[in-house]
Amino acid sequence: MAEEKTSTPGPSILGIRSLRKSFGELAVLTDISLSVDRGNVVSIIGPSGSGKSTLLRCASFLERADGGDILYDGQYALRDGVYAPKTELNRFRTKFGLVFQNFQLFPHYSVMRNICEAPILHGTDREEARERALTLMRKMGLEGKENAYPYQLSGGQQQRVAIARALAMKPEILYFDEPTSALDPELTGEVLKVIRQLAEEKMTMVVVTHEMPFAKAVSNHVIFMAGGVIVEQGDPLAVFEDPKEERTKQFLRVFER
Amino acid sequence: MSLMTMIIKMSEGLGKTCAIFFLTLLFSLPLGMIVALLRMSRVRIVSAITRAVITVLRGTPLMLQLLAVTYGPYYLFGATVARNKLIPVVIAFSINYAAYFAEIYRGGIESIPIGQYEAAEVLGYTKLLTFLRIILPQVIKRIMPSVTNEVVTLVKDTSMAFTVSYQEMFTIGKQIANSQTSFLPFIVAGVFYYLFNVIVDYVMGRIEKRLDYYK
Ligand SMILES: Nc1ncnc2c1ncn2[C@@H]1O[C@H](COP(=O)(O)OP(=O)(O)O)[C@@H](O)[C@H]1O
Ligand SMILES: [Mg+2]
Repeated sequence: MAEEKTSTPGPSILGIRSLRKSFGELAVLTDISLSVDRGNVVSIIGPSGSGKSTLLRCASFLERADGGDILYDGQYALRDGVYAPKTELNRFRTKFGLVFQNFQLFPHYSVMRNICEAPILHGTDREEARERALTLMRKMGLEGKENAYPYQLSGGQQQRVAIARALAMKPEILYFDEPTSALDPELTGEVLKVIRQLAEEKMTMVVVTHEMPFAKAVSNHVIFMAGGVIVEQGDPLAVFEDPKEERTKQFLRVFER
Repeated sequence: MSLMTMIIKMSEGLGKTCAIFFLTLLFSLPLGMIVALLRMSRVRIVSAITRAVITVLRGTPLMLQLLAVTYGPYYLFGATVARNKLIPVVIAFSINYAAYFAEIYRGGIESIPIGQYEAAEVLGYTKLLTFLRIILPQVIKRIMPSVTNEVVTLVKDTSMAFTVSYQEMFTIGKQIANSQTSFLPFIVAGVFYYLFNVIVDYVMGRIEKRLDYYK
């Protein structure tokens, strides 16, 4: 996988340097640095409470970081703990999408409206937005569901709607925070399948996951986080088959049987 | 006086009863939202003051508030008491009901998961659009049963306008009861309120049904 990756010139789509974040006394992220190149899939693994969600939430501006840099396309959204002005942040916001663990679909909207309202609000022509939504739904295996409401769908279908909703905004990078953790085991496969399909289409993604076989198979880069720092990162084969750090070994042992 | 005459006389006051009812809803429903937002303000002093005001409005009898709004200006500034009592009555009712609606709205707004705001934010919805399109519709659905309760109570509360002698249905009934030394007008009034609330229940039920298309 690593050899196949086509490196595009220019800066990484996402760059994070020395990111810090505390909740009161609790230092959740202490010194996080990473970068994500276009077309790459980065998996983040680690025990619960290690700050994985907080990292994604900082990258998507849902949480305010205390220090460090966040760059999109080489431009500063956060520079040394100081955020760019609101209008700038709004511009950066169009570059990423976020898929939540528990979907967060809008329950009072049909599937169609869930997917196409945001693009329409951003000035996409109504018909075009609907067309694109239908295309995305087909791709997500949701044909014929445009008039359904979220409560009428299975968890797996809801999560695929959430992915379609995020993709409808044409993000340059897509974040997933444990996209299958809220699903019954028999439904995780269908969601992982569409993420894998996006990976094959060279969608840039950062995926927080506990699905180790998936992370190993789909990502170009794996980050192991624990206690608010990146303990180890690298090629998935290296991290999974030959981890260097004791903590990584310990963590991965739990997933072996 | 025959029962028929009583009914006719009292129903002449029904227009005014309805006026109190509809005008109070017209003003208190939106006013309640403003009060709820002030109550939830992140500016401490604003939410504290709003909270205190709500506590007073809910903790003192509506009847006293009616008297205060109608005659307060006279006692305080020697202003003449309004000839048309509808104005002070509607003001008092609207303020009082706004306090109740505000707490219902607040409960509804706080029951919406934070993730709904976050999903909207990441999708680039503005704060205003998030509230109007994502949060408010879900709030309305959730609070409908409590709102219905308040509306039913309001129907009955309109009778309190008798304390300032506003000539609505109950006030007229009370006057007839006094002059005829009869209990019958109160029974007539009871039937009127009951029928009014049958209609209210039906209408509110229809609205709740219409919001039933999702869970
Ligand atoms: N809003 C918050 N307020 C206080 N503590 C928080 C908040 N969000 C997360 N935390 C804490 O930060 C730590 C990391 O949380 P999180 O990023 O969710 O970890 P992970 O996603 O890796 O399980 C945990 O100890 C969690 O309790
Ligand atoms: Mg998490």
